[in-house]
Amino acid sequence: MKYSYITPGKKTAFTQEIQLLLSFFTITILMLLFTYTFLLYKNYTFVQDKNSTLRELASLEKSFDNMKVSISFIERQQMLSEKVYTQNSVLKDSITNLFDLVPLRITLSEASLLENGLILYGITPNKDVYNFMLQAPLRSIFHRTYSSFYPAKNGWLRFVSTNYIDEEEELSSED
Amino acid sequence: MLTKLFEALYNKVFVNIVVKRSSTDIYIELCSKNGVIDSDQNSFETQSLSGEVIDFITSFTKESPYYYISILDMSTEQGAFPTCAKSRLSYFYDVSASEHKCVDDKWTFYTSKTDIYEIEKRYHKIGIDFIFSPFTLLSNFFQDKITTNVAMYILMQDSFVSLSVFENGVLLYAEHLDMETSGESEDILLSQEISDEDEVSLEDGIDLEDVDVIDDMEDLDDFGDIEDLDSLEEIDEFSEHQDIEEEFYEADEPIVESDDTDFNEDYQRFTLIQTALGHFYNDDKYESQFIENVYIADGVGVSNDLKRYLEEEMYLNVYIRHVELGIELSNLAKMELD
Repeated sequence: MKYSYITPGKKTAFTQEIQLLLSFFTITILMLLFTYTFLLYKNYTFVQDKNSTLRELASLEKSFDNMKVSISFIERQQMLSEKVYTQNSVLKDSITNLFDLVPLRITLSEASLLENGLILYGITPNKDVYNFMLQAPLRSIFHRTYSSFYPAKNGWLRFVSTNYIDEEEELSSED
Repeated sequence: MLTKLFEALYNKVFVNIVVKRSSTDIYIELCSKNGVIDSDQNSFETQSLSGEVIDFITSFTKESPYYYISILDMSTEQGAFPTCAKSRLSYFYDVSASEHKCVDDKWTFYTSKTDIYEIEKRYHKIGIDFIFSPFTLLSNFFQDKITTNVAMYILMQDSFVSLSVFENGVLLYAEHLDMETSGESEDILLSQEISDEDEVSLEDGIDLEDVDVIDDMEDLDDFGDIEDLDSLEEIDEFSEHQDIEEEFYEADEPIVESDDTDFNEDYQRFTLIQTALGHFYNDDKYESQFIENVYIADGVGVSNDLKRYLEEEMYLNVYIRHVELGIELSNLAKMELD
């Protein structure tokens, strides 16, 4: 101090009122910041959850599609199996019926089922037995029947009976 | 940095206190960066810091945290010396119990430490920031004259007369006079003189043999010298030293008519000035210079009689400037803050 005997007291703009006001604003700003941070965090976790759920949804949709594919495949398999089962049943009945056709005096050694025919190998005591007791029912089933014989060692005759169903004729008969 | 910013945003409040004989004058200035925005003043009929005074001051100081309260030192034990050298201070006064300040390495003003403590204690409720000496106020008020003239500068307060002699900015002599204490002592002296005279006249009358003729003759010779001053040449020489500019300035000032109380006080002031001037001329401690001009900073409203006395009795050119002590204190406070 050049002229005064004493130095002035320290002056500050931070009076008690200002300090109180600043404290109030600081606390308010801190609370707002805290809330903002909390909301940011919640938003972040929400976005994460949403992405996770979306990924899960996509995965489930993909899985659902796969399952649909599997279901359709299984359905087709089921249909096929049912078809096969039906065909087998028909075949079984056919075979049963076929074997029912064979008389006791004729012995079959081999039977080959073709797609549209049947080949039978066997032994018959004579041609008449064959002709009357086996060939007659076969002719009623198949459209074309061819038989050939050759003698066995014991005096009986071995035979090969080849039978075909003509599809055209069958279709026309169905019509 | 932040403090400077806040300081620029807020206005400054300068509270200036001048304690008088029976009242306290308070002058308040509200200042911005551009200057004085508002001012107010009030006078309270008390010397103490009453509730009324505190209320008045706080109504302004609460407007800004940057407020500065200044007071004019009213200590009776204050003064100034024409030196700043510590070794020479004791030559003029024992400063061990005083607070002193050096101005421009030219002169020193001082006051009692006890009085400063007393002021701080008395105003501790509002807190005093600056205590200014009347001599700094005086030197600042007559800044334009002090640096160029040899003259006596006097600050008139209602209780004090602060008297100083400056020669081209250098202090030669200073004295702070308390009118109450000086008046009392003078009254005692006057009464003693009167009683002595009474004794002489009553008991013996005047014995001419007791009169020292040689001494009286020397005095008469001195009167003879005074006669020489009556010549026109000498009067012209005096008139050359007159301050024309100050006379113009003074012409604008209203002339104060005196009543009996003012007359008594002005006479007392005149006596004090006369005594102080005699002290300055006679005391070997001070470098003596012949004083022709007296500049009075009138803070109380002195009458024209004082001027007339000084001019007629002491052959001085007297110039009176009215001073508002509060405004001058405010200026000093601003200078301190710059």
